[in-house]
Amino acid sequence: MLTLAIRNLARRRLRTLLTISGIAAAVAVLASLLAFGQGYRSGLNRELNAMGIQMMLVPIGCPYDAAARVIKGKALDVSLPDASLGAVRADSAVAVAAPVLMAAIPRPTEGRTDLWVGVDRDILPLKSWWKMKQGSTWFTGPDSVILGAEAAATELRQIGDPLYSPETGKTFRVCAILERSGTTDDSQFFIPIATAQNMFDQHGRLTAVAIRLKDPSLLAGAADRLQQTPGAQIVTMGEMMGTFLNLVETVRTLLLAIGAIAAAIGALTVFNTMLASVVERAAELGMLRAVGASRLDLFWLLGLESSLLAICGAMIGVAAAATLGPWIEKAVRTLVPMAPQGALLRLNPTIVGECAAMGLAVGIAAGLFPAWQASRMKPVEAMRAR
Amino acid sequence: MIGTENTAVAEALVKEYRRGAETVRALDGVSFEIRHGEMLAIVGPSGAGKSTLLHLLGCMDTPTSGQLTINGRSTSGLADRELTRMRRELVGFVFQHFALLPTLTVAENVALPGLFARRRAQKHADELLERVGLSHRRTHRPHELSGGEMQRVAIARALINSPKLLLADEPTGNLDTASGESILSLFRALNSEGLTVVLVTHNEALAKATNRIITLSDGKLVSDLRRSE
Ligand SMILES: Nc1ncnc2c1ncn2[C@@H]1O[C@H](COP(=O)(O)OP(=O)(O)OP(=O)(O)O)[C@@H](O)[C@H]1O
Ligand SMILES: [Mg+2]
Repeated sequence: MLTLAIRNLARRRLRTLLTISGIAAAVAVLASLLAFGQGYRSGLNRELNAMGIQMMLVPIGCPYDAAARVIKGKALDVSLPDASLGAVRADSAVAVAAPVLMAAIPRPTEGRTDLWVGVDRDILPLKSWWKMKQGSTWFTGPDSVILGAEAAATELRQIGDPLYSPETGKTFRVCAILERSGTTDDSQFFIPIATAQNMFDQHGRLTAVAIRLKDPSLLAGAADRLQQTPGAQIVTMGEMMGTFLNLVETVRTLLLAIGAIAAAIGALTVFNTMLASVVERAAELGMLRAVGASRLDLFWLLGLESSLLAICGAMIGVAAAATLGPWIEKAVRTLVPMAPQGALLRLNPTIVGECAAMGLAVGIAAGLFPAWQASRMKPVEAMRAR
Repeated sequence: MIGTENTAVAEALVKEYRRGAETVRALDGVSFEIRHGEMLAIVGPSGAGKSTLLHLLGCMDTPTSGQLTINGRSTSGLADRELTRMRRELVGFVFQHFALLPTLTVAENVALPGLFARRRAQKHADELLERVGLSHRRTHRPHELSGGEMQRVAIARALINSPKLLLADEPTGNLDTASGESILSLFRALNSEGLTVVLVTHNEALAKATNRIITLSDGKLVSDLRRSE
């Protein structure tokens, strides 16, 4: 029976191939998307953990939005008073408190927006992944600027070069260039916080204060105390993770929807192929009935054919997901906001298994109706169909 | 009427087909019996109901009314599963267009019914190929054979389950005279070994070579001539 099924499939090579690729594509897309979703989640986790901050002081407003913007490097419209930094640093539980002032300078002629970030030395322990290029030094004066690798490349600047900012009319001197890290830092301009406050007319204002505690167990008390800071509120990492995970969930739902469409296409391909095959082979199926095949026999035969299609499709799909993964990842990365660094596509056995099972189930299910059609055919009528 | 010497007994067989609103009466009260070891031809004009009758004899369909008994068993009102079993165990069918599977070799085609009878048939298939004189073609594909050879393969396939009744619907309809004659002599040889053979044919020579001719017209049996030896 198996031989018969295989030979039948081999008879229409092109159609069989097309059907198999249909399922393969569906499985590959689904596997990549799911793997991406999972990688995205764990990558984000890793990145947030690497910062080693437990909470953040942000202006009153939408706290999660604010926190997300600071972490991923987006300018904020509201700000904190300078004095809140002092309050944070004075708290006994705080190990590091790094003030940040962010401002975006749109560059419509270049088609991008530069992000300028005012920081002080306290940012260093929080940016553990920063590596400076040879010859870099920390800010030497108020006109020093540290360039992200990307920013240095687009501005064509080396260490020691002057950097003119036409929008603000100021000239800086490049004191350091960061190695590429795959984070949003790559494209940012870091300047002393006081310089940033002057440059953007934000005297005595901050975008946020990132806080690392001496001990994570002090979190609850410290959060309560700092919550009292006027005009500011505390967002803890836990809350922030929640927000991010919500975001990831949304992305996942989107990916699943795309996956469902892919699955539907796979199913339709099998359905169409098998149905065409049944109609086309009506006389032949009638002959099989005449020589003693039961309804069940024909149902099995056709079911076997669609199962073979589904199995081949699922296997090729998984293989394709594994090999094409990096390209898919690159494509998705440009579409999804705030993609964390590191490899996102993690094909683990669970995902592969799930997707292969999905491909199989869909393929086999789609073959059921045509198989039933075949088994329902009366031998005499089928013979007449010739 | 059911005697052990009868392979098939038909009593007032009626078969109607519904075509949209109208009903076509393809068989209209046909009665006859077929004895063991007989070789008979069914003849008549096109549309007379010859194929319909052969399909009933082959357990491919059940009569609208009347009784048909094959090998002592009535087919009226049988479920599909039972009919399939009778097809498998009692009859072998030979078609005008051979109906071989192009994807299988000659030997595999002959053994095919064994697949559905859940029985290893390859050895028997080789014996049957020998019997029809096509052993040297066993690994060929059907499209590599001549029409006469294909029909001999189809006959070998019809014999694989050792049927009681061999049915053939215009077996020579697609063959030249020479091939037709070789098929005819094969049928005669099989019949002389005791197999009951029923042929539907337009071919005079083929009909005359049998020992009984049943003529149908408009679904009715108009003559039943037995050659007295
Ligand atoms: N499945 C069917 N549905 C509707 N009408 C049918 C069906 N099968 C046969 N008929 C009709 O029954 C009549 C007898 O058909 P049948 O095929 O038995 O004739 P036949 O004697 O074999 O003719 P031919 O010599 O052309 O093969 C015809 O009028 C045919 O149109
Ligand atoms: Mg006919």
